[in-house]
Amino acid sequence: MTIRDRTAIVGVGTSRFSKAPTDTPMRLAAQAFKSALADGGVGRDEVDGLVINIGWPLGVDYDRFAEALGLRIRFADQSWTHGRFVGPTLQHAAMAVATGLARCVACVCGVSFIQERGLLGGPGDFEGTREEGGTHEENPVYGLTAPAAGAALSAQRYFALYGATSAELGAVPIAFRKHAALNPAAIMRSPLTLEDHQASRFVVEPLHLFDCCLVSDGAAVVLVTSAERARDGARTPVFIAGMQGMRAGPDEFLFATPGLGIGQQREFRYTPTEEQLSVYRMAGVTQKDVDALYTYDAFSPLVWFVLERFGFCGLGEAAAWTQKGRIELHGELPMNTSGGLLSEAHVSGWNSIAEIVRQLRGECGERQVRGARVMQWATAWGDSTIFHS
Amino acid sequence: MTAYGKPLPRITPDNRPFWDATRRHELALQRCAECRRFRYPPAPVCPECLSERVEWVAVSGRGTVSTFVVFHHRYFPSFAADLPYNVVQVQLDEGPRLTANLVNVPNAEITIGMRVEVVFDDVTPEVSLPRFRRATT
Repeated sequence: MTIRDRTAIVGVGTSRFSKAPTDTPMRLAAQAFKSALADGGVGRDEVDGLVINIGWPLGVDYDRFAEALGLRIRFADQSWTHGRFVGPTLQHAAMAVATGLARCVACVCGVSFIQERGLLGGPGDFEGTREEGGTHEENPVYGLTAPAAGAALSAQRYFALYGATSAELGAVPIAFRKHAALNPAAIMRSPLTLEDHQASRFVVEPLHLFDCCLVSDGAAVVLVTSAERARDGARTPVFIAGMQGMRAGPDEFLFATPGLGIGQQREFRYTPTEEQLSVYRMAGVTQKDVDALYTYDAFSPLVWFVLERFGFCGLGEAAAWTQKGRIELHGELPMNTSGGLLSEAHVSGWNSIAEIVRQLRGECGERQVRGARVMQWATAWGDSTIFHS
Repeated sequence: MTAYGKPLPRITPDNRPFWDATRRHELALQRCAECRRFRYPPAPVCPECLSERVEWVAVSGRGTVSTFVVFHHRYFPSFAADLPYNVVQVQLDEGPRLTANLVNVPNAEITIGMRVEVVFDDVTPEVSLPRFRRATT
């Protein structure tokens, strides 16, 4: 049994993105939801599934959203409140549709990182006090706190193992800033130079300010339905061609390629096998067919890790590989063409899913990837979904 | 003496022997009584063989810096006076990695691969934190 091409995204909607608190997450999510319905030509009462990854206290919960929008839901699902679950949440939506548990699932993210920024490290981050360490290696006893710290631990070891530098890492946020400059919805649109990147303050060394994503408010909604229903929709359907799930276990640290050796992560030299990258087989494509790659760029090193994890380059090669515009719009592999979490907005990755859909429909104007047919979502923690128009 | 204002470890039934040992200025880890594998953090079963038979064993306290960071952003008011402060991960010679601070080494001199040894900091009458210093031998 395969899920290939059995489901599709039929509508997307986004709210205004902001670095200042303007509206509640519920108001932003309601706007994005109505805009997704209009975009897809979908009636409110067709939506019978609801999936969410960022709930209280950062974002909107499924129960309140269904109540507030008058939705009669027969498939609801909400994960641990972490952005990393964007991919698995979208996959749950597709699986619910493919198995007949729902006809049309709304993936809803309405989030305010601004009003709850105390959760992102320091005394208000109760999650970081988990016995024997937080999920990004937080250990408040020693002052180790905030997701940035996990990415910094990995970057430092990566630099030492492979001779990579912070200046090479600068190519990542610089590329995404160029994309944001072409995106009217992006928050950060002024040019970013290597000098700006290197002169910006350290947050958690070796990560500079511009290696860290925006702290912003916004909402995005993605509507998933059956391929048959999507073909009757208002827009070009964007089919879900292949999926693979998020990884966990002794070989893994969330913010590293397998085997880097952070925390208790086992240390070994990772080379991906076909089995580890089964998303390509399910989708019937290879890396060479991917017209653009999208990833969860909460911190710039994650972009290097995903390129190595999915075999776009070899282990230790991503620093050199990402230079000279290779991941920019007209490069060999455009990445995060909306500006991503680093420069568009932090809607926990859903803004990038919306961008994939708009790109595959050819709606992206100045930042359109010409002739795009196949696009991939993939993360440093190993989940991936491949889409085609 | 001013009160210690920084976060303290959450002591649980699983990790209490670790913190009891640090009060005696000993570093002790769990070792599986079946397959002899050291493990950290403390856990009720061996991740290798799933055995629940375990012994607490004093270890050398010696190891190698496997990675480190330097905090410049003030997240905790209680760490403000320490900025910029380091946090290291140390791979113990017995295998597991501990997170801690490296003391008496300027941040600019910390390198991955540096040999270190444990020291104990009696931060309260009940809690002694393991930290590390440059290895003396």
